[in-house]
Amino acid sequence: MSLLVAQQIYHSYGGTQALCDVSLEIEPGEWHALCGENGAGKSTLIKIISGVEPPDQGNVTLEGNPLPMGRVDAVEQAGVVAVHQEPVVFPHLSTIDNVFVGRELGRLGGLWLDRDSMARGARQVMHQLGENLPLEQPVGELSLAQRQMVSIARALLNDCRILILDEPTASLSARETQSLFRAIKQLQTQGVGILYVSHRLEEIFQMADRVTVLRDGCMVGTHSIASIQRSDLIQMMVGRPLDASSAARPLPREEQAPTLLEVQGLSRAGVFDNIDFAIQSGEILGLSGLVGAGRTEIARAIFGLDPIDTGSIILDGQPMPEGFQIHDAMDRGMALVPEDRQRQGLILPESVEDNLTLPSLKAFSKLLGLDRDSRGKAAHGLIQRMGIKTAKPSSPAQSLSGGNQQKIVLGKWVYRQPRLFLLDEPTRGVDVGAKEEVHRMIRTLARSGSAILLISSDMPEILQLSDRILVLCQGRIRGEVTGSQATAEQLLEWALPPERPDAA
Amino acid sequence: MDAFEKKTLKARFPSWLVTPESLLIGLSMAFWFIMGKLDHSFLQWEVQRELSTHIWETALMALPMTLIILTGGIDLSIGSIMSLSAVTAGLLHQAGWPMPMGCLAAMVVGMACGWFNGWFITRFKVHPLMITLASMAAFRGIAEGVSQARPLSGFPESFTRMGNDAWLGLPIAGWIFAGSLAMAAWIMHAHRLGRCIHAIGYNEQAARFSGLRVDRMLLGLYTLSGLSAAMAAIMFMARRNTAKADIGAGVELGVITAVVMGGVSIFGGRGTLAGVCLGLFLIHETREFVSWHWSRDELNLLALGVLLILSVVFQQLLGHKQAS
Amino acid sequence: MNPSGSNPNVQQAWFSLLKSRTAGLACFTTLILVWMSLWNPTFLAWSNMRDIAVSAAPVCIISCGLMLVLVLGEIDISVGSMMGVLAAAMGAMASASRWHLPPGVAMIGTLILGVFIGAINGWLVAYLKVPSIMVTLGMLTALRGVTEVIMGGQWITDLPPELRSLGTGTWLGIPICLWVTAAVVLISLWLIHRSTLGRRIYAIGSHPKAARLAGLPIARTQCLVFAWTGFLTAVATLVSVPQLSVVDAGIGVGMELLVVTCVVVGGTAVSGGIGNLSGVLLGALLMTMISTVLIFMKLGENATYWSRAIQGLFILGAILLEPWTRSRKKP
Repeated sequence: MSLLVAQQIYHSYGGTQALCDVSLEIEPGEWHALCGENGAGKSTLIKIISGVEPPDQGNVTLEGNPLPMGRVDAVEQAGVVAVHQEPVVFPHLSTIDNVFVGRELGRLGGLWLDRDSMARGARQVMHQLGENLPLEQPVGELSLAQRQMVSIARALLNDCRILILDEPTASLSARETQSLFRAIKQLQTQGVGILYVSHRLEEIFQMADRVTVLRDGCMVGTHSIASIQRSDLIQMMVGRPLDASSAARPLPREEQAPTLLEVQGLSRAGVFDNIDFAIQSGEILGLSGLVGAGRTEIARAIFGLDPIDTGSIILDGQPMPEGFQIHDAMDRGMALVPEDRQRQGLILPESVEDNLTLPSLKAFSKLLGLDRDSRGKAAHGLIQRMGIKTAKPSSPAQSLSGGNQQKIVLGKWVYRQPRLFLLDEPTRGVDVGAKEEVHRMIRTLARSGSAILLISSDMPEILQLSDRILVLCQGRIRGEVTGSQATAEQLLEWALPPERPDAA
Repeated sequence: MDAFEKKTLKARFPSWLVTPESLLIGLSMAFWFIMGKLDHSFLQWEVQRELSTHIWETALMALPMTLIILTGGIDLSIGSIMSLSAVTAGLLHQAGWPMPMGCLAAMVVGMACGWFNGWFITRFKVHPLMITLASMAAFRGIAEGVSQARPLSGFPESFTRMGNDAWLGLPIAGWIFAGSLAMAAWIMHAHRLGRCIHAIGYNEQAARFSGLRVDRMLLGLYTLSGLSAAMAAIMFMARRNTAKADIGAGVELGVITAVVMGGVSIFGGRGTLAGVCLGLFLIHETREFVSWHWSRDELNLLALGVLLILSVVFQQLLGHKQAS
Repeated sequence: MNPSGSNPNVQQAWFSLLKSRTAGLACFTTLILVWMSLWNPTFLAWSNMRDIAVSAAPVCIISCGLMLVLVLGEIDISVGSMMGVLAAAMGAMASASRWHLPPGVAMIGTLILGVFIGAINGWLVAYLKVPSIMVTLGMLTALRGVTEVIMGGQWITDLPPELRSLGTGTWLGIPICLWVTAAVVLISLWLIHRSTLGRRIYAIGSHPKAARLAGLPIARTQCLVFAWTGFLTAVATLVSVPQLSVVDAGIGVGMELLVVTCVVVGGTAVSGGIGNLSGVLLGALLMTMISTVLIFMKLGENATYWSRAIQGLFILGAILLEPWTRSRKKP
């Protein structure tokens, strides 16, 4: 009998389907890998199985018993523990305390903590993991790899039956990875099932027994590792049937348009390194890569939100001054549509009109105050132009659908007619119809002369829209290809982290 | 509507009825009705005017406080800035300076204190609560030290007459407030700064991402708050002909209570000046009535504290969501 | 690339800066003691040291509770008014000219009242989710009003001798209030280091979201911490107020600021998750020493008027030093 069975999971976020009829089975002692590109639904599935959120439909059973959905502590109690990429630890507590939080060992019912037993237990589990951590130091002082080990130790101590690991080796060295694998293999011998999410395909081929591939929220299939090749896996992750939309590729561009943005040697320690590219007026440059590769950070640096260590940003032939701020960037004609629409892009309780005109308030200001008429007219015009569906301009932004909200974020910048448009995941969580409209808008903007930097994890989108595509991997540019010649498989191949030179 | 909102009152009544402002209007009418029934003489114009003499200082300081709380911040140090400004003017007058110069110096001191608050908040990213708690102690401490906690008085008659005179039925202090209220209303409703303040309060990050000069605006608001405290100090000195290091003690509570009662969300973003005026009015009338009818001043403090807690609890029940 | 990686050496340096806060405070305090003794040898006399300790006692006791409130990520500025109302209640209960209850009853009653008021604070913060600053700001005023109502504009001067002995009595040559302080400190040490509740308080303050995910009882913990602070305020009232010859409505005014200063100067982070008891106690000692220091330095009686300013500067300094430790917080 399978250890963990997830059946027919459906889940959506505000109108977009994140998971559609996904089923998964994990056998006792099996190393089951979960693969898929950004946005395929892996994190959503993990969240549902580990109890962070209950699914819209479907259920998960452990050894035949249904798991309590939506409650992390109950799910952990039942024996399913997740270790996330950014380990959820208490930075000010020591390793011992972190490992035992909520499950402290004590006498007299919690009145007298048995620190010795806890220290012993922690030391034992660390030994099991092959780690030699200082146990009394606050965990916030430890490196990311060590914090991950603490998170895993906590899971181990919980006597788990299923261990979920979400990209645990992304920031580990080869040696740390090997000790992690050793510990996991030991768990396997005890019959613990492992659900392992990773983009390091070589690890999956090295360690996993089976692999499930998700794409666009749907199951592509579950296969045993022995029966497939790396190229098959990549094909499953990004291969989509040919249809009319994928044929609508941009034609190769003329080379004579002036260069609008030039980025030279842009670097920030630990984030991105030696980034060089240029965008012509009217060109759409796609920036592809995995989450965490540094794409958003580059856009933020160009917009003046974050500082850079070295490098220069040259707009229209004029370099941006050192330490420039957002309003400098805006004055020079830049615009950024941020990744997190709800937290960074919109003021949800305010009206559509307020949101649309917020960056341009100065333009409506006269001596005696705001010119309400021209502001209202401008908002109305934008609503028409962007196709925003709202009951009235004074409706609060939070009452609109995801697609319409995204149109507001886009619209407020479109009004300023920027020369350079930085778009970060412009159609994430947006329905198909609105997506089409946004794509149309992006093409219109390019045709009117703006340069566009398009960051997207949506393969078809980046392939359809971009004149050129750069692929970022671990903060460096790994490859460049023209839009007409790019393939999804090539983009993913470049985006995946390279095999470690010192792998065992 | 999510589960939390369904539980709040918002779900059960039409939305325009459940705004704090309309509730305040209802409460005001109810109060007046009850007070009129209990003691008719309270409602006469002369009595009201007599009792209102000291409310203008609180009212004046409530205006920038409203703007600050709308941005999600708070200023606990206004009482101490008031003390320090008063002591400055008093000492300078004692040293022989002409009164107008003394008042000007007081205003400069007030603005400097406010700027100090704003600078630490924006430059060092310290939470406004903690920094103004600390500056509350520091400013009052300086006032106490410099004045050795002694009262200063003997201000020129031309000055004190201003504090007690009326013009067209309203005390001069009242006119100062009215003028400031007009300016504040203009800022909030006509000028773009009003829209920016609401935006910052609702979502500071998104406001920054939209290019708003958040730090500059916050610095200005806290400086303005300091200025209003200084002006309140001058109004106090003119009315009572005395300046002492403890005149501002406890003043911040009345101001914050009025603002919160007026429907301004403590998390920022939501709120109106009209509501704050109603809040000021309600608090003032309640306190005065309690002293007038029952002659027990001690109940004032109790009522004020309870009012603040009730207002905030009420806001929670109305479903003011925490700013992310 | 490691987007969230950080240089462990830099972090380590900043951590040791904080750990040395206690050491730094100890050095500073010792320096002051040495300097004062050179200035005026009678400073180190047993009677003076004892007086300083006795006046530091109530501050230490309340600080033990307030430290946990700050570690939790909340704040409580109502402790001064709590002290006032508890003093008034204690006086009203025990005084011969008022309710004239047995002193034991007055003591127990005061303690229960302290827990009750603290629990109300806790309930408003934990279950109604009202920000603690607003709750305790309102309580600060409301309780002061209640104090004035109880006192009715008069003073109480006839506390029974049993109560007086709490404040002025000694046992084995050491004032009772110091024994009580020691007991409170021992209990707090147990609470912080050896109890489950203590671990959870630090966990919740360190990373509230993780605490929620781990299923920790956040609301209950918040309630308990505020109630505990109320209890400690009552204890502090019982050992300090009887030392005074009169009980009036102004007792405790400004105490909250003094206690918050001690706690913050002692190294407790305003953002939560960090706090150690020895730093807090040293902070309490230091802050209460200041007024004595000013007197002894014979700068004239004017100098004592600067004690609040010095307090304010201390807390400002402590708060500003905090960004050095805030970098640790990784939500």
